[in-house]
Amino acid sequence: MKLCIKTKLEYKASVIINSISQFLVFFTYYFMVVALFDKFNNIKGFNLYEIFICFGVIHFGYAFCETFFRGIDRFEDHIIKGSLDRFLVRPKNILLQILVSEVDFVKVFKALQALIIIVIGIVKLNINLDILKIVTLANMLISSVLIFLGIFIFTASYCFITVDGLEVKNLFTDGGKYLAEYPISIYKKGVFIFFTFVIPYGFINYYPLLYLIGRTNNILYAISPLVTILFTGLSVVVFYKGLKRYTSTGS
Amino acid sequence: MRSYLSYFKLRIITNIQYRAAALAGVSTQLFFGFMYILFYIALYESNAGISAPMSLENVISYMWLGQAFYALRIPVLKDSELLNMIKDGNLAYEIIRPQDFYFKFYIKLYAHRLISVMLRFFPIVIVSVLLPKPYNLGAPTSIGAFIIFLVILVLSSFLITALSILVHLLTIFTIDSRGVFSFYAVIGELFMGGIVPIPFLPKILRIIAYILPFRFLSDFPYRIYMGDISISSGINLIPINILWIIVIVLIGYMVSKIALRKAVIQGG
Repeated sequence: MKLCIKTKLEYKASVIINSISQFLVFFTYYFMVVALFDKFNNIKGFNLYEIFICFGVIHFGYAFCETFFRGIDRFEDHIIKGSLDRFLVRPKNILLQILVSEVDFVKVFKALQALIIIVIGIVKLNINLDILKIVTLANMLISSVLIFLGIFIFTASYCFITVDGLEVKNLFTDGGKYLAEYPISIYKKGVFIFFTFVIPYGFINYYPLLYLIGRTNNILYAISPLVTILFTGLSVVVFYKGLKRYTSTGS
Repeated sequence: MRSYLSYFKLRIITNIQYRAAALAGVSTQLFFGFMYILFYIALYESNAGISAPMSLENVISYMWLGQAFYALRIPVLKDSELLNMIKDGNLAYEIIRPQDFYFKFYIKLYAHRLISVMLRFFPIVIVSVLLPKPYNLGAPTSIGAFIIFLVILVLSSFLITALSILVHLLTIFTIDSRGVFSFYAVIGELFMGGIVPIPFLPKILRIIAYILPFRFLSDFPYRIYMGDISISSGINLIPINILWIIVIVLIGYMVSKIALRKAVIQGG
């Protein structure tokens, strides 16, 4: 991992531009929310700062995965080039090796920004953080990382079957990410159900958010992010199932 | 000139091969279109009393047009051949070819855009027109507006290619391309009204957006289509659009000359 950072640092100008542009990318999304709320004052009863928390949580998870687990996002390359075999002969855990095979530390800034936005949201909303709420928040952040990890692993497993039509993956990562920037209750029923029971985005930033901003006192809402452990666990199982069937493409 | 034409034909034929990818693109576009629309509907529903800068029907049409002509507005459509050339120094070979380097790649990138939009826009337009009431793409306000809309779309295909190749060339100076590209993508998206329509932006940004060329890629044609900008002011803006194309092509051409001179030294 250290090595990876060093190689990237070789292209100094590029790293600087990269970091600035990452900052800008994120800032623009953030800005879009602010701009819209300048004209409108709420969306289905949620105000700007509540959206901030929702938004920050989802982006934190995604940026975190992009930073440290970039390798799995490019899993199809390993299959196509046959370089997966290289990992297989090593004595360490295969999934772990792939996860950390590439680190894109520029994206760290994005994760940091996401945290800042969450903090702004919390401060502006005057949430008094007791232990339980802090735990809830931590829970949300961790599960946000877990859910994207899970999705990445799922799509990687899909590569064992075919590498065709991988663009569909973007629907679940990018598409899902955009949808889940806002509390999922603002959408129509179908979307709501899909993102609660199929891909549990709802559990990372909707149900716990309700608890965090004091709309409900039900403790179940606070611990609901734990559902994502199931999701990621399932993805790991599927991955190993796929791995068993894997026959190398290399010679 | 003939060699350019045959090169253009070649590129078109190569790009048509990727029909399966286009299909995946269509489904992605439809999905994103729905997503944005669901979001805006929720937004408008919960703020019934507030006067918005655009009506909901117009916003929805705007979103659908944006998805249908996605390939004509998306700032970054990377050309890996050109980028690899820049990275490994094979650019030097381009100097000894008889065709002009800039125009050759202009044609290549243009063909790429043209085919992606041709393969994609039709199914998206059909689906979005046939959708039930609040979700559908509305008809153009008048035939005149529709004709201007088409003219600007054609112009925007030239403009986006010119911009795109300029950015490709700039990576010669930074070697790693990602930073330049994402930088450009963000600026482009923001000021073309790709993230939110320009009327929703705060005043300062709106002024900047109206100065920069990016608005001609999406904001301007789409709003002509739905009658948000009148036909007469539309016609007045077309010369500015053409001027931008010429300016950006010229800048790109000059950069290509400078860059190639530099590349010789690097190639050794």
